[in-house]
Amino acid sequence: ILSIPELFLLYRFTNYMRDKLRKWREENYRNSEQIVDVGEELINEHASKLGDDIWIIYEQVMIAALDCSRDDLAWSCLQELKRQFPDSHRVKRLAGMRLEALERYEDANKLYDSILQDDPTNTAARKRKISILRAQGKSSEAIRELNEYLEQFVGDQEAWHELSELYINEHDYAKAAFCLEELMMTNPHNHLYCEQYAEVKYTQGGLENLELARKYFAQALKLNNRNMRALFGLYMSASHIAASPKVSAKVKKDNVKYAAWATSQISRAYQMAGRGKKENKCSVKAVEEMLESMQITMS
Amino acid sequence: MTQRSLRTASRASIGCARVKMASSFWKGVVGVGLFALAHAAFSAAQHRSYMRLTEKENETLPIDVSCNQLQDTDHLESHACVVFLDTASLVLCFQIVLQTLLAFVITCYGIVHISGEFKDMDASSELKNKTFDTLRNHPSFYLFNHRGRVLFRAPEQEPSTPSAQALPSNPLRLRKLENYH
Repeated sequence: ILSIPELFLLYRFTNYMRDKLRKWREENYRNSEQIVDVGEELINEHASKLGDDIWIIYEQVMIAALDCSRDDLAWSCLQELKRQFPDSHRVKRLAGMRLEALERYEDANKLYDSILQDDPTNTAARKRKISILRAQGKSSEAIRELNEYLEQFVGDQEAWHELSELYINEHDYAKAAFCLEELMMTNPHNHLYCEQYAEVKYTQGGLENLELARKYFAQALKLNNRNMRALFGLYMSASHIAASPKVSAKVKKDNVKYAAWATSQISRAYQMAGRGKKENKCSVKAVEEMLESMQITMS
Repeated sequence: MTQRSLRTASRASIGCARVKMASSFWKGVVGVGLFALAHAAFSAAQHRSYMRLTEKENETLPIDVSCNQLQDTDHLESHACVVFLDTASLVLCFQIVLQTLLAFVITCYGIVHISGEFKDMDASSELKNKTFDTLRNHPSFYLFNHRGRVLFRAPEQEPSTPSAQALPSNPLRLRKLENYH
């Protein structure tokens, strides 16, 4: 039906889209609409060219379809996977996820319990049970279960980050900071964990926490000097410390210097980002006004 | 559907084609380098067997001549032959060595270009573009009770869902949507 050059282009398209799907899968993108769009087309029309990749694409598209309320697509993907891998725990977990999306939490729990009976070390089923508790709003039980899970599987980065998020939602910042410390220990080069830890410390408040926050914002900037949130965080924490009545004059002077440096970096970053654009002058002025308005005044 | 994919394909394939053509050039370079290496090895083996043959001939010369008086002149002749063979074989040796080294360098250079992108030694540099958007997503802990379940629902599905899974919470969500409009 298609001519030779069209076939050639279609082959290129399949490869290109398959690489895109792999990138989204490996880097945890949750752009479910796009995944459903691209994945549905690939599955329906170019299944033969995908080879064995098609099974993992089925899994990815199924989860994205559950996000987009496309239950028909999710059901058909699940059927294909069930046909190919009849006794697989991974496919059972996907069936459980579909039940969760339909809010049939008891049925999903029964399914996960049956997986755990077969294989008590299955981490995926335990994590889904914790997610069910979270979806039902039982955060304290979810936190307890997640703590028990982490006692057994200490190296699970995802779980530590999830636990820190749960603690932040409960406003238990000290424990959230502990979880983030675990993450920073195992990923010392990751500026985002440093920055999130600094934000939690800043939220806790108090002079020592503010100083710690300022140090970790600086560390995040050292790891990645393009992190704007860390720059703003440095400015805010330094201004806070400088405005606090309990500090010595030398500390105050140092922090004013840090805040001034942060201000200059912020203005420069906005100027660089806006160069060549017409509204540059207005936006730079807006940034300066914003920084002035963010000055901490002693109450 | 196919028309749209063809349009995207033509746009995407221009970039892909450039990359693919560059990589096949470097694959050719690696092929040429390996072939030159094999050729140099083969000629080195041949040269070595040739040297062994001619050296045997040189050695047999004085053994054949049993007479002592003729030994000196024969030695001189054999020396001359050996000296003459040495210059030619030296040049050949040098040429083979040069070819081996060049082929090795070309192969290495080609392989470096084929083998994909290098990662930075600095562990933090590959994270420079990572944002919280993707860091906060934990695929094993994904929840599905978000507004996407309602937002993305096709309009025909809303009024009468014949599925047996119509839950008591659904009418509430639909009522909330109606309040919006």
